[in-house]
Amino acid sequence: MTADVFIFWFLAILTIVSALSVVLMTNPIYSALSLAMTMVSVAAIFVTLQAYFLAGVQLIVYAGAVMVLFVMVLMLFDLKNELQAFSRGKFTGAIKVGAVGILAGLIVGAVGSFIMAGKSGAPVTPEASTSADATKALSEHLFFNHVFGFEALGVLLLVIAVGTVALSRSKGGTHAKH
Amino acid sequence: MTSMGSTSFEITINLIKLVLVFLMMVQAVPILVWLERRGSAFIQNRFGPNRVGPLGLLQLLADAVKFLTKEDFAPEKGNRFMFYAAPVFALIPAAIAYMAVPMSVPLKLDGHTFLIQGFEINVGIVFILGISSLAAYTILMAGWGSGSKFSLMGAMRASAQIISYELALGLSIVGVILLYGTFNLTEMVNMQQGPLTFSMFGYTVTSSYLPNWGIFYQPVGMILFFAATFAESNRLPFDLAEGEAELVAGFHTEYGGFKMLMFFIGEYGHMMIASGLMTTFFFGGYGIPGISFQEMHQIGLNLLGTETLASIFNTVVHFLSYNLKFAIFLWIFIHVRWTLPRFRYDQLMDLGWKTMLPWALANTMLTAVVIFAASYFTI
Amino acid sequence: MPLGGVIFITVFIAIFGYILIRLARLTGGQAKKTSQAKFDIYECGIPVQEKKDTKISVKFYLTAILFILFDIEIIFMYPWAVNFRNFIASGAGLFVFTSMFIFLAIFIFGLWWEIKSKALEWD
Repeated sequence: MTADVFIFWFLAILTIVSALSVVLMTNPIYSALSLAMTMVSVAAIFVTLQAYFLAGVQLIVYAGAVMVLFVMVLMLFDLKNELQAFSRGKFTGAIKVGAVGILAGLIVGAVGSFIMAGKSGAPVTPEASTSADATKALSEHLFFNHVFGFEALGVLLLVIAVGTVALSRSKGGTHAKH
Repeated sequence: MTSMGSTSFEITINLIKLVLVFLMMVQAVPILVWLERRGSAFIQNRFGPNRVGPLGLLQLLADAVKFLTKEDFAPEKGNRFMFYAAPVFALIPAAIAYMAVPMSVPLKLDGHTFLIQGFEINVGIVFILGISSLAAYTILMAGWGSGSKFSLMGAMRASAQIISYELALGLSIVGVILLYGTFNLTEMVNMQQGPLTFSMFGYTVTSSYLPNWGIFYQPVGMILFFAATFAESNRLPFDLAEGEAELVAGFHTEYGGFKMLMFFIGEYGHMMIASGLMTTFFFGGYGIPGISFQEMHQIGLNLLGTETLASIFNTVVHFLSYNLKFAIFLWIFIHVRWTLPRFRYDQLMDLGWKTMLPWALANTMLTAVVIFAASYFTI
Repeated sequence: MPLGGVIFITVFIAIFGYILIRLARLTGGQAKKTSQAKFDIYECGIPVQEKKDTKISVKFYLTAILFILFDIEIIFMYPWAVNFRNFIASGAGLFVFTSMFIFLAIFIFGLWWEIKSKALEWD
């Protein structure tokens, strides 16, 4: 039990530190790599909750696909000049105020929900389940309760693919050919 | 750490085992390098390293000493942190993914059961895919940290290639999952025991001499999977990332000495994962055709007398069986490298997206239809 | 899942790699700056061009995005595939089979469109 508690605190601190370094790092590539680290540690936290399949999906999709895209694109464009984009310029004040507002709202919401949960009683502990059961329950939810959402997702992904191809075709902007 | 063992003795043994599997993986690399150099020489009608020690085996040691005496170099224009972190990170995904592959039947000693694998994971395939998809970061970090244009171009190509073939890889496994109905690698190995048995439309056909291996159910899946793992581990004919004629050495142009060696260990680690998975998915894992685990245990019991010795015998025999199959696939990796020429980049992408992806889709659909039809008509 | 073991071996390998690099520096020594050219990045022997406006094809970006989309679709097949026999045994086989084949039809249409629109052509 103590080992489990130790692992939880280790992962929690790792997640928070890497998430903080996403916003505190000035180099966008370090930020993106920190975000990838955050994704990996969130996957590990899923494992402590016995959501094994979701942990795998978190690794494959977020850490292995989405963040690789981010890092690739950031390395493609050398962002030395854009570093200052958000710290100087016309709209910086508004952006700063907005960001502080959102962060304050998040903190108030988190603390509030924590207090509310404390009032309602002991935290709910998940029942111990095997991975086969958990994956089966997940697929039953997905293919019975949310089957229309699932099909709609297929259409949505298709639309995104078409949109991406169309955007990469456009000859305007910085990619204009002479 | 609950699932690492119930007593502190088991936990200690299991942690030592993890370190041992890792060191085994690292130690296998020099041997594979020797095999590759001798093998390539054999294929190209040369001698290869044959002067240092018997059959040139001590060449490995000489190489290690040479690596140790190389001075430590980092380019001035690059990013030092990334440059040094990339080779260290190259080891991690390969080693952790390899540890999830089962290598033999569990060893039973004094009421303790020890698995012959780093850790048993219920969602084995998903875990291995997820961990090995992190390998793209290593390449990108190395390419960007070097600050060289060759490195960056090589890293871009390598990562685009890896993610393209990850699709075919992931999709070719869907057929395997459909076949076995589990993500767990040990359960897959257990299902491949016994003689080959097809049952369809109420009839059952049993072969007297063929084992019940996955390859007979998923031949197309096997070919697609094996081809995709070549691309994943950046081996020829898919080593566009380090095409010497265009990119010098790709993402590790600026590396030398031990840092270079660590990238090597990562690459060979991916080869080992691929060979281990091929064995597990399609060739019966550590099983031996014709003899079940219990029968082998019984043979051990008759030969050696005690239950403990029989268990050790059983484990060792199946470990050897696994390693034999494993070595065959590693040799195929080496043989293909010295037989086929390199693709052109557009051919590579065409193969991944326009050939392998549709075939993998067709394989998945066919498997689903057959499984559905088989169960539908028997009921 | 033995999470403790995974974390342990990750930390172990990181320390192992760090020590290996340190050790190699100890035995081989830090690189001595005998000339500027030695510390420059390798560019086929010609002096390094300072200008860093490496133009890289937008195709890499497109490939990565299409990869993410198809990867998500493939991930949805995993829970379906692993429970397909259970679904058939419980009598829901036809429903689940049909719903996945509709999804696959959309997938195949997407792939066919990508190939037809030459989005996957590299020149």
